[in-house]
Amino acid sequence: MIQKVLEWLFNNWLSLSAPIIVFIAFIVVSIWSRKRLFSYLERVFSQMGWEERRTFLDKTKTPFLQWCLILGAYISIQLSPLPLNLKAFLGKILSSLFILSLTWTIIVLLERILHIYLKKMDIFPSGTITIIINGLKIAFLVVAILIMLDLWGMPITPLMLMLFIAVFIAIFAARDEIINIFSGLEIARNNLIKTGNYLKLESGEEGYINEITKTNIHIKTPDGKILLIPNSRMLRSVVTIIKKQLKQATQPFRFSARLHLKELTGLKAANVYDLVDMLKKVDDAVIYYHTHNFIEEFQYLTPQPANDFALWVSDALGDQVLSEKLSNIDTFEFSTIGALRERIIDVIQEEIAKRQDINNAPSGREFHFIRSISAVIPTPYVAHDLREFIEILKLVSLDTLYFHIFESRLRLHKGVNDFSIWINDCLGEKDLADEIAVLDPYTYTLEGLRSMIIGIVEKHLEREYAVG
Amino acid sequence: MPLDKEAIFRTKARLHDYIPIVGRGTIEALYALAERLSGKTVVNVNSTFSGGGVAEILMRMVPLLNQLGVDTRWMVIKGNESFFTVTKKFHNALHGKREDITPEDYALFLEVSNKNMEEMQLTGDILFIHDPQPVVLIKKKGEIGEKWVWRCHIDVSNPDLDVWNFLYQYVVDYDATVFSAPNFARKLPNRQFLIHPSIDPLSDKNKDLPKETIEKVLDKYGLDMEKPIILQVSRFDYLKDPIGVITAFEMVRKNIPCQLVLAGGTATDDPESDKVLEEVKDRASDNPDIHVLLIPPESDIEINALQRAATIVMQKSLKEGFGLTVTEALWKAKPVVASAVGGIQLQVKNKFTGLLCHSIDGAAYALRLLLSNPEYASWLGKNGQEHVRQNFLITRHLKDYLLLFLSLYHYDDVIYL
Repeated sequence: MIQKVLEWLFNNWLSLSAPIIVFIAFIVVSIWSRKRLFSYLERVFSQMGWEERRTFLDKTKTPFLQWCLILGAYISIQLSPLPLNLKAFLGKILSSLFILSLTWTIIVLLERILHIYLKKMDIFPSGTITIIINGLKIAFLVVAILIMLDLWGMPITPLMLMLFIAVFIAIFAARDEIINIFSGLEIARNNLIKTGNYLKLESGEEGYINEITKTNIHIKTPDGKILLIPNSRMLRSVVTIIKKQLKQATQPFRFSARLHLKELTGLKAANVYDLVDMLKKVDDAVIYYHTHNFIEEFQYLTPQPANDFALWVSDALGDQVLSEKLSNIDTFEFSTIGALRERIIDVIQEEIAKRQDINNAPSGREFHFIRSISAVIPTPYVAHDLREFIEILKLVSLDTLYFHIFESRLRLHKGVNDFSIWINDCLGEKDLADEIAVLDPYTYTLEGLRSMIIGIVEKHLEREYAVG
Repeated sequence: MPLDKEAIFRTKARLHDYIPIVGRGTIEALYALAERLSGKTVVNVNSTFSGGGVAEILMRMVPLLNQLGVDTRWMVIKGNESFFTVTKKFHNALHGKREDITPEDYALFLEVSNKNMEEMQLTGDILFIHDPQPVVLIKKKGEIGEKWVWRCHIDVSNPDLDVWNFLYQYVVDYDATVFSAPNFARKLPNRQFLIHPSIDPLSDKNKDLPKETIEKVLDKYGLDMEKPIILQVSRFDYLKDPIGVITAFEMVRKNIPCQLVLAGGTATDDPESDKVLEEVKDRASDNPDIHVLLIPPESDIEINALQRAATIVMQKSLKEGFGLTVTEALWKAKPVVASAVGGIQLQVKNKFTGLLCHSIDGAAYALRLLLSNPEYASWLGKNGQEHVRQNFLITRHLKDYLLLFLSLYHYDDVIYL
């Protein structure tokens, strides 16, 4: 057998050498032309400023050589003295290899370049981009398989029919999904609805867009619920975009709650002299308790009673004049408990100086000095923008509101409430921060204060972020 | 002695059930606090699983604390009849009543206490000892637990000093003490916390009732549904001044049509209560608008119905503990006229959540004012209800207990958890 082959090669060496020379020439020319062509393309693409040229050139450089070699091999085979049926068979193999290489290259390029471009366009959500690319990849692969089958003489009509039926069934089964995906594409193309928008549908639902997926839009309603609106419904509905995307805070606001426990000091006063003596001795936590206790204990009342000292002087000592003077001390004026304590002592001493007699409280109605023990606990609520801030403010307990408004300002020596600090420092909204900072919280119930702050921020959003 | 499980599971309330009453934020805060006590075991010790205010509170608190994830247990001390006779004398003496307490009584108290110390399988990290009966258990402090707290449910502001000084030697060894009102406490060298009692809005005594139930109760006691009802709920005791209430009512009744209901029971340990009841009945016998109702124990639904049917609720006590009947009335949004004594002053802020009085004339004036001004009465009632919601419900009590346990491990006045 080997001898026969050697004999055949010896007799046909001249007719064999031509195709071999042609193939070698193809290799040399391919390598040379690839170098020149890719240098030229690099230059042209650079001049065009095409950012993705490197990806394109890297991904096509090797396939280009493969295609040249396949072409060389094909021409060489046609020039060779091989039998015709063998030439046809080898030609089909080379054609199939070319189709596979070309399809693979297209798929790789699609994946890389199309992904980058679609993302840059910023009109499709990432889920939709993946679906588009995968759809195109499958389409190219199916076309390549059909061409190859045709090349090898296989009947493709029944296959195409089966494929058509399968695609039809798939489309029918996922028609809602597909409609939503295409609606999503249309919504994205219009570029009007974006995450962070506040919108209202004609059916009445309203809220902020939390997330846009390939099939639906997540709307967070004012009462904290999440509505999933299918893209097709969103496209059909009359939508009013009320507010634009909000400014994001550089640091989120983390809500904490303050709970308190009362600790007895064992100290008590039976008259105003005792009261002054004790006021000088007790620690800040005691003064804080007696000037703030009513805010929490009687948070539902407007107007709230004044501080504990004023109430006791009136109820237990029957001294209405001093009580009125103590009631008139505006706690909001003071940024430290020490200063507030001094003022209370001064008011009592000024009044005592005018008196000749003082009253004693009846037995059992002495003033008991109580210390406030505060426990500060973080809550799960975090706001990244003003809309989230408002939504959370509507939900949190009054202990949370109390902590950030009263406790932080006076007891934790910040001088200003926490909300104003965050709005100014992390959102850069100085005017809004100031508007909340100057609000005298001692003149509201806690619920009233909550409504007031929400109202101020809502108005600000209406002014600054409303569309049109 | 282990916990009586049957008794404990009688409380079916779930924390979730309180959300519509106090809000989700309040319950979330309780869970957040409880999480910080993870790994700690709290053991309550008192003298009985049933009967009396302390058992009633623990019956509700212990299951709720466990629902929050705080491992909370409840044990009781053992004692014979003689021991409890002595502790009853102690109780009265601490309230300021003159009692004949002999050296043998003190010896018996110590003997039973020592026996309990030997027999009880005390464990846990926080030992929460209620009232004077188990106070001597503190002698186990070196061996068991991390923190010991004495919870004093009674008013010790004006005690028999012999009894107080005897108990004082044990009380001072506790890490902290807890009192129900500032004026119930005495100065002590250890930390003293103030935790008010509470009512459970889901209990039979306080839950919402259908109109039919209320009408049925009024019908049962022959009360006129069309006529305003002035109600005082209290045991028949001179300190509750039922005769004063009748006198005030008679002053008002001259000009305003209304009826008075004095509802309560007699105390088995108070021989005077039957005498008071007879006196009250005699005084009321000529007046068809005065109804003296002897309500049997365990009639919580009936008391609830009477309070809900009332136009005004009175508590004209001459001396009072915390006055939880006032809390119950306020919770039902009823305008309250009450004496400025004991814990009533913490609940009724004059002209904000009710009207305080210092005399029979004052009480009569307040009744007339409220009957003639139903809008003002309604405003006071609503304020009173909110006041209880914020300050005297069991959820606030739970919060205070959790904070108390946490405070035992912290000494600053602002604690970051």
